[in-house]
Amino acid sequence: MRQGRLIATGAMLAFCLFALWQSLLLSLTDRLGPGPGFFPFWLALIGAALSVALLFTTFREAADPADAETRIMPHGAGGKRWLAIVALLAALTMVMEFTGFRIAMLAFNVALVVALGERRWWIIAVFAVLGSYGVYYVFTTWLDVLLPVGRIGF
Amino acid sequence: MESLSHLLSGFAAALSWYYLAYALAGCVLGTLIGVLPGLGPAAGTAILIPLTFNLDATGAIIMLSAIYYGAMYGGTITSVLINVPGEAASVVTCIDGHAMARQGRAGSALGIAAIGSFVGGVLATVALVVVAMPLATLALKFGPAEFFALMVAGLCLVVGLAGKNIVAALLMTVIGLLFAMIGLDPVRGAPRFTFGMEELFDGIGFVPVVMGLFGVAELLLAAEKRQARMIEAELKNWLPTGQEVRDCVGPIGRGTVVGFVLGLIPGVGAIVPTFMAYVIEKRVSKTPERFGKGAIEGVASAETANNAYANAAMVPLLALGIPSSPTIAVLMGAFIINGITPGPFLFQEQPALVWTVIASFFVGNALLLILNLPLVGLWAKLLKIPFSYMCVGVLIFCVIGAYGLKQSLFDVWVMLGFGIIGYLLRKLDFPIAPAILALILGPMMEKSLRTTLEISGGSFAIFLDRPVALALLAIPVIVIAFLLFKPRSLDKLRESDID
Repeated sequence: MRQGRLIATGAMLAFCLFALWQSLLLSLTDRLGPGPGFFPFWLALIGAALSVALLFTTFREAADPADAETRIMPHGAGGKRWLAIVALLAALTMVMEFTGFRIAMLAFNVALVVALGERRWWIIAVFAVLGSYGVYYVFTTWLDVLLPVGRIGF
Repeated sequence: MESLSHLLSGFAAALSWYYLAYALAGCVLGTLIGVLPGLGPAAGTAILIPLTFNLDATGAIIMLSAIYYGAMYGGTITSVLINVPGEAASVVTCIDGHAMARQGRAGSALGIAAIGSFVGGVLATVALVVVAMPLATLALKFGPAEFFALMVAGLCLVVGLAGKNIVAALLMTVIGLLFAMIGLDPVRGAPRFTFGMEELFDGIGFVPVVMGLFGVAELLLAAEKRQARMIEAELKNWLPTGQEVRDCVGPIGRGTVVGFVLGLIPGVGAIVPTFMAYVIEKRVSKTPERFGKGAIEGVASAETANNAYANAAMVPLLALGIPSSPTIAVLMGAFIINGITPGPFLFQEQPALVWTVIASFFVGNALLLILNLPLVGLWAKLLKIPFSYMCVGVLIFCVIGAYGLKQSLFDVWVMLGFGIIGYLLRKLDFPIAPAILALILGPMMEKSLRTTLEISGGSFAIFLDRPVALALLAIPVIVIAFLLFKPRSLDKLRESDID
């Protein structure tokens, strides 16, 4: 856990330093007063200082024996479920523009419900159809929310 | 008197069939979300935003507010039946509520929770009516310097009370503010941190970020854990006995006061008033040894304080434009999506909207009581929904919510990215609440500060000439100093996450 906090704080320090550099490319002041770079510059500077302070205090913390057993990234059966959600959500986002909401969501629902342990085909089928075509109908017809139709017309 | 006449007009609108329908739908959906373990009110309110995209502003806010306090009540059911709080504020309810369920008194526990929530919610809304308008009138005298100081004070209170590690909480605030800087500069209109990407010109969308940090991240956390087992509780008697109600009159009254007062202070998470109300009851009880073993007063006090807090937390939002918790920040986001900026001008510019929304709080609380007493058994059955279906259902709403506002798949990527970031931050014990509040307050903070400095010709000495601004800026200093030298016993009251 301590190592994870150090890495995360390091990433935040890098983010603040990047924001500091980017804000210096904008004008900090102009003839009317503070410019577009003014606020982000000071924020990034304060953020960098806080990151260094947090890195320092975390580094000085005594190692907790419980930390050795705590894993940051998921593992085991829970890890597989975690990975399935992230990977399928990424795949859904990638294909939705091409296939449209209905087909992409139908495939997503089937794949995710199966990945999470459901094996009864009729439940999977009902759930997938309601969660894709049913949801599409409710949101586009009743709630007037536009959802992607896709290049192949679905 | 003026407030009363506005409120009566508000009731006339709030009782129209369509606003009643929105409030009813919000209460049902909110309770449903609250019942599902792992999804708190912030996530619930965020993922249901797409349902309100095409409602009028008043209807959208009525529905989302009803989702909010419905979710606050829904968390009670899981606390009592499976000893898993649906949201952090219900942690205290687990202590005696679950003990009552083990004794076969789950119905009484849930019944008194519904009654306490109703009384606490209604009385807190009465106090809101009394307090909000004078506070907004006072805030109308504020200039940009005072508003900037107010937002800094609000954020620092959240920082101070949200996290175990104040440096980490401050850093999360700054990170949230930096993300808020992406897009067009609010004063000059110059693009910042956009890297030529058109999608970033409007800034990072609040809705996809919230859906990611709350909806997706909470599902990812839940995906790792095993599901809790429900007690097959006896739910035939869902009304507490006359003696139990008499025993709870005092706890409900004291819980209302504690919840309302603490709800007015930004940053005091819902767990603090519930814990404090519980401790007070234990102290004043003649039989404190019953607490922890199924004392109904413990459930009544905590649940009343919880709902009084939820309604009181609307005061800083409506009167000052300061969200005091992530869920209220989500509601503020819903106001902004609908082209309304919460704050003191709201009472002048949109009186019909604000008073209809306030009247709907009364209506919503009544609907919640009517719904929850007879339907406790039905809600309990929802606990048997397998994780796989809940997960897919929530993700469908998240995808539609992230995509639907701007019809942009880029926002779905943003949601997924922030989902993973939110998961990691939770695991590493970084507080997310300050970042969310900073993200929504960032553009307003920057605009106020820059306007102030333009007025002063770039001199920060202007804050020394404005006593209100100076006093408000002193709050963060006092809070941070207090936290550095605080008594150790106060640690028990603080939780890593607000809401």
